Amino acid sequence: MSERRDVNENDGVIHYELQEFQVFEPLFRWARKKSLWIVAFCTGCGGIEIPPLATARYDYERFGIMPNPSPRMGDLFLITGYVTPKTLKRIIVTYEMMQDPKYILTHGSCPINGGVYWDSYNVVKQLDKYIPIDVSIAGCMPRVEAVMDGIMEIMRKIESGEADGWRRYRENYDYYRKNQDELFGEGWREKEAKRWLAWI
Amino acid sequence: MDMNEKEKIEAQPAGEVKSELPDTKEGRLVKDLLERAPYAEGSVRRERRVEFKVPPERIHEFLELASEKFEMLMQISTVDWIKEGEFELVYQLWSVSESVHAFVRTRVPRENAKLPTVMDIWPVAETYEREAHEFFGIIFEGNPRLGPFILEPREYEKHPLRKDFNTLGHVKALYGEDFDRYDESKTNYVI
Repeated sequence: MSERRDVNENDGVIHYELQEFQVFEPLFRWARKKSLWIVAFCTGCGGIEIPPLATARYDYERFGIMPNPSPRMGDLFLITGYVTPKTLKRIIVTYEMMQDPKYILTHGSCPINGGVYWDSYNVVKQLDKYIPIDVSIAGCMPRVEAVMDGIMEIMRKIESGEADGWRRYRENYDYYRKNQDELFGEGWREKEAKRWLAWI
Repeated sequence: MDMNEKEKIEAQPAGEVKSELPDTKEGRLVKDLLERAPYAEGSVRRERRVEFKVPPERIHEFLELASEKFEMLMQISTVDWIKEGEFELVYQLWSVSESVHAFVRTRVPRENAKLPTVMDIWPVAETYEREAHEFFGIIFEGNPRLGPFILEPREYEKHPLRKDFNTLGHVKALYGEDFDRYDESKTNYVI
């Protein structure tokens, strides 16, 4: 615990696991598990699997899952299909905007190893090198039942504390940053920000 | 081999039909256009679909003529015929007044492929030309916005939809080699 605080001393973020709140940790975990607000970042083909999940038949709102308009309020980041380098830049920026704790659920084979796009010049293989993934659902495309199962899995992991992607991202930030810079080149964040200034 | 076979099959009916265009709206459309543009070849493929073959140096002239009847440019698609060393550009036109879809085919050599822009006829051509330029490296003279468009700059330099672009080598260089993949015949370990 103290070690982790040393690591995070300089990032200016109040750590949520304050000593005095440790006793409430199981309650917090239960609450987090029951109110997953999603950032539905619909990349690739899995975005079309979200409407059946949201509507009457599978209805994820009964688990407290809700689509929400802002990444600042999101807990669960759904990556629903293949990711191109251009999308990955947006994913990283959006992911870093989200508050801790945050979880990532990926759909399909493409974020795992490229899937059918394994030799495509434009699809990121092994998304786990660039951002931490908590649960991956294999399949091309996973059916809604499989996505439901993935959501149950991530709820189980949140309750047991295994879903620690956000913590891994903090602790191994150098590793992720190195991989991102290798793919996009040094200083890509600044370049992207310059391109977006016109739209702000 | 596959590419050549397909080409022969397409070439034969075009020659036959040219002499006797059917007496339909498509046939009359092709006939009118060919009378004014004798350098082109034209044929009727089926109902509501016609086809023209035009030499690349007169493509702009031909499309300007065709735009009187074909008001819309729907797409510019490109095919890389690597064995023949040519790019085939297909201008897909749609006639709103006649409800006819036209393919205007032209072929340019792969080396230093250059064509005049058709932005002055259809402004929308700008986007399609940028795309063809980015993925195949065809230069459209007169288009002011050619340059990196959709892709990352490093892919733009390589024109990734050309048939001689080494996709696998590019992937290995970019994303690393630590993947678990066999080739399509499941015999050779590729990555």
